[in-house]
Amino acid sequence: MITEEELDNLIICKKCHTLHKRVPLPPNKKAFCSKCDILLYQNNPNIIDKTLALVISAAISLFVAFKFTIVTIDIQGLEQSLTLYALFMVILEQHQYIVGIMFIFLIFIFPITIIFSMLILLILMKLKKGAYLTHRLLILLAHIRPWSMVDIFFISLLVAMVKLFDYAYIELGVSFVALIFTLILDIIITKNISFYELWDLHTKIYGHIDE
Amino acid sequence: MNREFEYIRCHICEAVNYVNDKNTKCRRCHEKIVQDLKISYHKTLAFLITAIIFYIPANIYPILISKQFGKTTTNTIIGGIIHLWEAGSYPIALIILLASVFVPLLKFILIIYLLISTKYNLNSSKIDKHKLFYITEVIGPWSMVDVFVVIILSVLIHFSGIQIYPGDGATAFGLMVFFTMMSALSFDPRLIKHRKGNRSNAKP
Ligand SMILES: [Zn+2]
Ligand SMILES: [Zn+2]
Repeated sequence: MITEEELDNLIICKKCHTLHKRVPLPPNKKAFCSKCDILLYQNNPNIIDKTLALVISAAISLFVAFKFTIVTIDIQGLEQSLTLYALFMVILEQHQYIVGIMFIFLIFIFPITIIFSMLILLILMKLKKGAYLTHRLLILLAHIRPWSMVDIFFISLLVAMVKLFDYAYIELGVSFVALIFTLILDIIITKNISFYELWDLHTKIYGHIDE
Repeated sequence: MNREFEYIRCHICEAVNYVNDKNTKCRRCHEKIVQDLKISYHKTLAFLITAIIFYIPANIYPILISKQFGKTTTNTIIGGIIHLWEAGSYPIALIILLASVFVPLLKFILIIYLLISTKYNLNSSKIDKHKLFYITEVIGPWSMVDVFVVIILSVLIHFSGIQIYPGDGATAFGLMVFFTMMSALSFDPRLIKHRKGNRSNAKP
């Protein structure tokens, strides 16, 4: 039989499923898949502190993005704003429950859950506390990760604005800028740390968790 | 009968497990790791069929309804694209065409291809099925663009004289994307037969 340590030293590429033996890395170096060149893992010192700072900023900008006005349009003196509140009201008024609830989950509930789970996870990992809770949070994150669509929402917003360009005067709100910040921070976070590395850190801090 | 041991990547925690069919839980996150391949195959197929069924009303029924001073106009996905193209908004027309027509169709075709090649054990070494599957998962959610645009427009164009509503096509399309994603998530990568010599050292 193969020992846990030996297995911990293996990694399977998420793209091409090639099995790799991990090689030790000097600080700030990355390891790539030998077949498809995708990033496998990296050695990033103080990664928890760095990611925590980024996640706190992302949580603030996501909060701002949903609290205030994203865009306001003006058609011959008539104004209408895109806010989360307006969205709820329109869904209730038009009885578009299926598509409306889907939308709210994909662009609001899942992203918020992800950011706050990350926040709690990283704080606990920094304090080296809550072995079981952090374990559950990591599993939760894995399940809802494919269902967060803030990036797609932003592109859709741009498309909608281009469509309205000829008819309406468009004014960007505070939340529009916050949305851009959220997306940039999200890209930096995903670049800095993968879930493979988060799990790896979890094992290093708490050891293997029994069921 | 004892199945051979093999290396499996846990889809939850990404840990490498060395398992046969007997121990079915991941050594690190304890989530179910080895599900019956037959169940995975049928789940993928069932979700895919559901998605394809929803794709029909998604294209027939209007995705967008606009009411302008009592006059109602409706737009289907294709109708909307043609409309944009005629109005000269070529980039937007192309984005919607890619996201709403090509991405879902490509995803259907890829999953069907993966299922067929699993069933009949086709081993074409030229096409890397793992990569195809990875691409399928990455591009999938982008087909939501058109539905999101309609919802954003319905919030913004909400005056007494003129309103925009999402039509039943939008609901069908949203459900279609949901079931396509469920189909891809149910697909066990182990259904793709491994070629020999798939081992290597990580490249620093
Ligand atoms: Zn690879
Ligand atoms: Zn696992």
